[in-house]
Amino acid sequence: MKKTTIKRIALLLVIAALLYMSMLVCNVSLGALSKGIVDGIAFLGEMFPPDFSALPDMIYPAVETIMISFLATFFGALLSFFFALAGASNISPMWLKSISRFFMATERALPEIIIILLLVAALGLGPFPGVIALAIGCIGMLGRLFSDAIEEVNAKTIESVQSAGATKIQVIQYVIIPEILPSLISNTLFRFEVNTRLSVLLGAVGAGGIGYEIFYSFQLLEYERATTAILVVLLLVFMSERVSDYFRKKILSNTKLK
Amino acid sequence: MIEVKNITKSTKEGRQILKGISFKAKKGDFIGILGPSGAGKTLTMRCLNGLTKPTTGEILITIDNQVHDIAKNKGKELRQMRQKIGVVFQGFNLVKRLSVLENVMIGKLGQINQFRSLFKGFNNEEAQKAYEALEKVKIEKLAKRKVASLSGGEMQRVAIARAIFQEPVILLADEPIANLDPTNAKKIMKRLKPLSEEMPVIGVFHQPEIASKYCNRIIALKDGTVVYDGNSDISEDLLMDIYGDELQEIENQALVSAPLA
Repeated sequence: MKKTTIKRIALLLVIAALLYMSMLVCNVSLGALSKGIVDGIAFLGEMFPPDFSALPDMIYPAVETIMISFLATFFGALLSFFFALAGASNISPMWLKSISRFFMATERALPEIIIILLLVAALGLGPFPGVIALAIGCIGMLGRLFSDAIEEVNAKTIESVQSAGATKIQVIQYVIIPEILPSLISNTLFRFEVNTRLSVLLGAVGAGGIGYEIFYSFQLLEYERATTAILVVLLLVFMSERVSDYFRKKILSNTKLK
Repeated sequence: MIEVKNITKSTKEGRQILKGISFKAKKGDFIGILGPSGAGKTLTMRCLNGLTKPTTGEILITIDNQVHDIAKNKGKELRQMRQKIGVVFQGFNLVKRLSVLENVMIGKLGQINQFRSLFKGFNNEEAQKAYEALEKVKIEKLAKRKVASLSGGEMQRVAIARAIFQEPVILLADEPIANLDPTNAKKIMKRLKPLSEEMPVIGVFHQPEIASKYCNRIIALKDGTVVYDGNSDISEDLLMDIYGDELQEIENQALVSAPLA
C-alpha cells in the first residue's frame, strides 16, 4: 500500500472513533430523536396560533430592548475607541499597547452571557447591568477593528502633522478620526445589530427587555404568548438591520470621494 | 537662518551614518542636497526639523531673533520650534479624507492652543490666510476638494501651501519631486524657488540636473560627510565623484524623462 493511502485510512479511523465516543457522551439515540420530533410537532401546535392579545404588553419591552442596544452601542463604541487608541502601535507606547490588546483579546474570549452573569451578581437585575454588559462586550470586537484601522493610517501623515508642531490630541482629531471615520461608522452600526440580538438573549437572564417576555411566558407555560414575543424579536432584529444598512449606505456615500 | 554644526548620527549598533556635517543657510538660499543613496540626505533633513536627534552636534535656528538648538529641545519647546519649520515630504503626507483647505490649516495646529482646536476650530481670518497660501501655489480653485481626489502634483502643492501657511523661518523639502512626472516636478521647483527670497529653502533631490537648474547652491553628501558646498554650476567630474557607479543609472532615468520635460 502507498503511504498516503495508509494515512487516509488512519485519519478515517480516528474520526470514526471520535464520532463514536462523542455519541456515547451525548447520549445520542435514534429513539429519543424520533420521540423528540413527535413531541416537538405537538409542542409547535401549542405555540400556535400566536396570542396577539398580548401584543400591547410587548411594546414597552421591545422599546426597552432597542434602547438597551442603542445605549450599549453608543457607550461601547466610545469605550472601544479609547481602547483602540491605546492599542494602536503607531500612536501608543509598547507597554500600553500590550495591556490594551490583552484586555481586548480577553474580552473577545468571554461570551457576553458570562459578563452579564457577573454584572447581575454585582449590580442586580434590570436593564442597566444589561447596558453595561453589552457596552463592555463591544470592546473586544470594535476595539480590535478600530485599532487595526488606526494602525493602517499612514505613519508619515502623522509624522508630517507632528512636524508642524501638533500635539497628540490634535493628531487624533485631525488625522486619526477623519481617516478611520468609515470604519468607525460601519462597524458601530454593525455592532448595533449584534447588540439588538444579544440584548434579547440577555433579557432571558434578567436584563429586561423583550427577551424577558419570552423567558417569562415559557415559565408560565403560555406558549402562544411566547410565539408573539418571538415574532416581535424577529421584527426588531430585521428592523435594526434595515436601519443600520440604511444609515451605513447613506453616510458612507456622503463621505465617498467625488 | 540655520546653522548646522558638525552633526553626527550613529545607529544603535554603533555604525556612524552622519560623520560630522556642517553648513549655514540664510534668506536667499535655495539649497539642493545631492548624494548617492545611503549618503545621509534624508537623515540630515530629519535632524533639521527634530524628527531625529543627532548623536552629537548642534543645529541652531534663529526664530524671532533668538537662537534655538533643535538638536537639544524636547516636548513643548520642540513643538514650538517645529511650528516655525515648514516641511514638504516625498509622499505629500496629507490627510486624504479632509479637504484641501483643512489640510493647509493643519499647518497652524501647533500655533493654536489645544482647547481651541478641540472645541472651536479655526477662525475666519485663519481660513483667509490658508486660502492665500493656496493662491501662492496657484491651486486656490481646489480649496473645497477632498485631497484624495487630487493628482500627485496637486497634492505636493497643497503640502507646500501648508508649509507656507505655517509662516516658517525655514522650509525643508525631502525629495519633493521624486514621486512626480517631469512636468509636475518643474512646476514644484518653480513654486519653491521664489519662497527662498523670504526664507532659506533646503531640498533633497535625486535629479542633479533639475537641482542645478533651479537651486542657487548645491551641497553634496557622500558617506555621511559634505564633499561639495558651493554654487549650483556643478561639473560632470564632480557628479562622477559624488555618485560613482550610480551616475549612469541616474542619467538613464533623466534620458527617459527628457522628452516629456
